[in-house]
Amino acid sequence: MTTATLAVGGSARRVLDAVWPPALFGVAFLVIWEGAVKVFDLKPYFLPPPSSIWAEFTGNLTLIRDAAWVSGANAFVGLLVGTVLGVAVSFLLMRFRLLNDMVTPLAIALNAVPIIVLVAVFNNMFSSTSEIPRRLMVTLVVYFIVLVNVAKGLRQVSPIHLELLRSYAATPVEVIRKARIPNAVPYLFTALKIAAPAAVITAFVAEYFGGPQNGLGSRIVSNIAASRNAVAWAYVVGACLLGLTFYLVSIAMENITTSRHHTSRGDDSRGSGPGGGTT
Amino acid sequence: MRSELVHPAVAVAGVSKVFNRGSANQVDALVDVDLVVAPGEFVSLIGPSGCGKSTLLRLIAHLIEPSSGNVLVNGKSASQARLDQEYGMAFQQAGLFDWRSVAKNVELPLELKGWDKKRRAARAREMLELVKLGDFVDHRPWQLSGGMQQRVAIARALAAHPPLLLMDEPFGALDEMTREHMQAELLRICDETRTSVVFVTHSIPEAVYLSDRVVVMSPRPGRITDVVDVDLGRDRDDDTREDDAFYRKIIEVREALRNGGHDTTVDHETVDPDAVGHPLLGVDDR
Repeated sequence: MTTATLAVGGSARRVLDAVWPPALFGVAFLVIWEGAVKVFDLKPYFLPPPSSIWAEFTGNLTLIRDAAWVSGANAFVGLLVGTVLGVAVSFLLMRFRLLNDMVTPLAIALNAVPIIVLVAVFNNMFSSTSEIPRRLMVTLVVYFIVLVNVAKGLRQVSPIHLELLRSYAATPVEVIRKARIPNAVPYLFTALKIAAPAAVITAFVAEYFGGPQNGLGSRIVSNIAASRNAVAWAYVVGACLLGLTFYLVSIAMENITTSRHHTSRGDDSRGSGPGGGTT
Repeated sequence: MRSELVHPAVAVAGVSKVFNRGSANQVDALVDVDLVVAPGEFVSLIGPSGCGKSTLLRLIAHLIEPSSGNVLVNGKSASQARLDQEYGMAFQQAGLFDWRSVAKNVELPLELKGWDKKRRAARAREMLELVKLGDFVDHRPWQLSGGMQQRVAIARALAAHPPLLLMDEPFGALDEMTREHMQAELLRICDETRTSVVFVTHSIPEAVYLSDRVVVMSPRPGRITDVVDVDLGRDRDDDTREDDAFYRKIIEVREALRNGGHDTTVDHETVDPDAVGHPLLGVDDR
């Protein structure tokens, strides 16, 4: 109990210590931005001041929220489906070695390529009012990140653990349950930490390539086309907030499971181990 | 200990092991090895790197199959003995599962034997008290020191009360003081549980202090060159380490190692007197 209380008190202090420098920098940045627009008399079509962006943001809050809901739903559905598919296929790769040898190098290569360009092809495959191409794009991006990481976690089990389990006469299924799956759990959360922001970015950018005009990405494009720059920036603010939400939720999920299953120390070393793969 | 038991703990007869047979990098890891370990006996395998001592241990554990010859553990074939968990095993690395508590680590072999939860928990507590870690049941492995982790690994190896313990340099990564302490603990635990032990090491004092018999091995090809009986009695403590009889046994094992090298004076590497090292230091860790 005492150590827990101490840890909470200590972490609150640490959070505060970590938060004030970037917060101060952020405020200073906004002040300089506002000042620069005034002093150099920058035109609104070039760079609107933060004050008018904020005014448009609060004025259009309902519209921004609705658009964020659309983009967020696309990102979330893609994240969910991509994760489920990625985990499922990594189990197949673990089971079938030949498949693994064929698929894994390809997956790693695709992870390093901007596959988002495919969205134009997907748009062409479905009707212009469909959200499916965007969700498909997000799914694909997430799928490869999850696949590469989870497959690695399932495969890279300590040889000593495998020898011990053999000495206990463990069946192949027991080896998977007692060693491979628990070993892969931190790899899954590392993958989600990479995949969550990637999903949001993919959902926005996919909207730049056409389709229904209802998400944050398409609103940014259409408002810029209509020379309503401050409004476009207000949607950018909404996009940032949505991306941040996805990232924070993925970190919170990782923290909950790691505090239950793993050490913060082991987590750090794992954090740099798995990973890899952005869009 | 109990001579009325019929089966030896381990009976290795005419065992050879060849890796990569027929290829350019063929290795004769073991040639024609015979070894019998009596119930309750503590036997160490000692020799320089590449002498096949770990290979021999893995053959007894049925982690690998012999190329020829026969291995019996407690009267059963090695494969059947593994399926029946007739032995427990410990390595140089403790190999604990980070995502399990200390107690759940000790319970793992019992889970795989299909024991129910209550019985597992009771046995895990009993084993952890045996290795004097009763207060660390709910700790995570990474919260323990290296010596404590190794004690958890020993508790785990003994959890199913196997008649045989197979250990591959289990104290090799520990500092000297912890190492001596762990050796004394291991002797106490084996006496209490009447477990036979096959213990791989490359430290001469460690082999002499722990063993009833020290089996001296030699590389290229791996084989047994000598067996030294260590008649220092069963009650060994820190004073034993300063005893004249202890030193005489160390010198005997050291010379057996040196002679093992001389038997195969084909190349100069094996004859290099430095390879045997100081009598109080190991063969490999100078």
